[in-house]
Amino acid sequence: MDAAATSNLAAGLAMIGAIGPGIGLGIGFSKAMEALGRNPEAAGAIFVPYILGLALTEAIGIYCLVVSLILIFAG
Amino acid sequence: MPAQAGEESLIHVAIKAETLFTIGPLQFTNSMVGALLASAILLVMAWVFVRHPALVPSRVQSLIELPIEWMSGIVAGSSSRWRGYVALVIGLFMMILVANWLGLLPGVGTIGVRHGEEIVPFVRAAGADLNFTLGLAIVAFLVFVWWGVRIHGPIGYLKELVGEPRYMAPLMFPIHLISELSRLVSLSMRLFGNVFAGEVLLATMLALTTAVVFVLPLAFFVPAVFLGLELLFGAVQALVFALLAMTYISMAIAEQSGGHDEEHADHDEHTTTSDIATSQTASA
Repeated sequence: MDAAATSNLAAGLAMIGAIGPGIGLGIGFSKAMEALGRNPEAAGAIFVPYILGLALTEAIGIYCLVVSLILIFAG
Repeated sequence: MPAQAGEESLIHVAIKAETLFTIGPLQFTNSMVGALLASAILLVMAWVFVRHPALVPSRVQSLIELPIEWMSGIVAGSSSRWRGYVALVIGLFMMILVANWLGLLPGVGTIGVRHGEEIVPFVRAAGADLNFTLGLAIVAFLVFVWWGVRIHGPIGYLKELVGEPRYMAPLMFPIHLISELSRLVSLSMRLFGNVFAGEVLLATMLALTTAVVFVLPLAFFVPAVFLGLELLFGAVQALVFALLAMTYISMAIAEQSGGHDEEHADHDEHTTTSDIATSQTASA
């Protein structure tokens, strides 16, 4: 394998790390919807922590994405 | 194969901002043009709408005021000293929002000068350059460290970093220091990753659909769907950056270590943490 093929393969492998944040985002979203279903008036109070939690979880997936994009476009 | 070569040049996205010209040691890149355009748009908007503010807002004025009022409502709920940083949080939100949406305009990232094989665009989405996002993150970082030092004093701020059981300091101090610095990395990397991935996504969708030329309408509709998605992501990422900056600042304000003033306020919390600490040492 030459260097380009290796870096493309590594870019694909790096995205395996997106599984974890995917599961985490699903759990976070389902819990937020559960809370919203139980208490619809709390939508305003749930919104900010919900967005923050999703952003912090999503950051892990974004790290994988940045690594794989760097491998593709700069590697 | 010529078709494949054409495909590759369509999908090409540079991870680094291209230099347009140099002024002495400063390389003037196309993402700087994007950032300057975004701030120019914000300045003009501020100038036009603050010049004649009406008590009963016109339709355009209420459209501009709507996100600002909504954001200041959220910031007001974060801590009692929200007036000290509400301008920064809304400023970050508006700047990132305008910069992200500016990057989606047709012509941005496509119109440019040809350098051999590649086209160097005049304007690039500012968020697709790590320098822009890191700059904003450094501003947010300096502000929340400054608030921590201002509220608790330099000694108090260092005590926050050292942590509660003083003998754990050699272990906890580096951990706290790294966690403070990792906020800088995660703030900047999140925005950069999202915007850059959006650029790559749009380029890929365009390249994929123009490759199937015989179904021509596809090349118009499929990227349009993803452009709509990117509009949403641009707003969400601006909101996330501003809300995280707000949360870090309000955490820096609210954090109370038991060592100094106002010990009665968190008396309960203090005893429970020390109880946990003693039970841990007993079990260890």
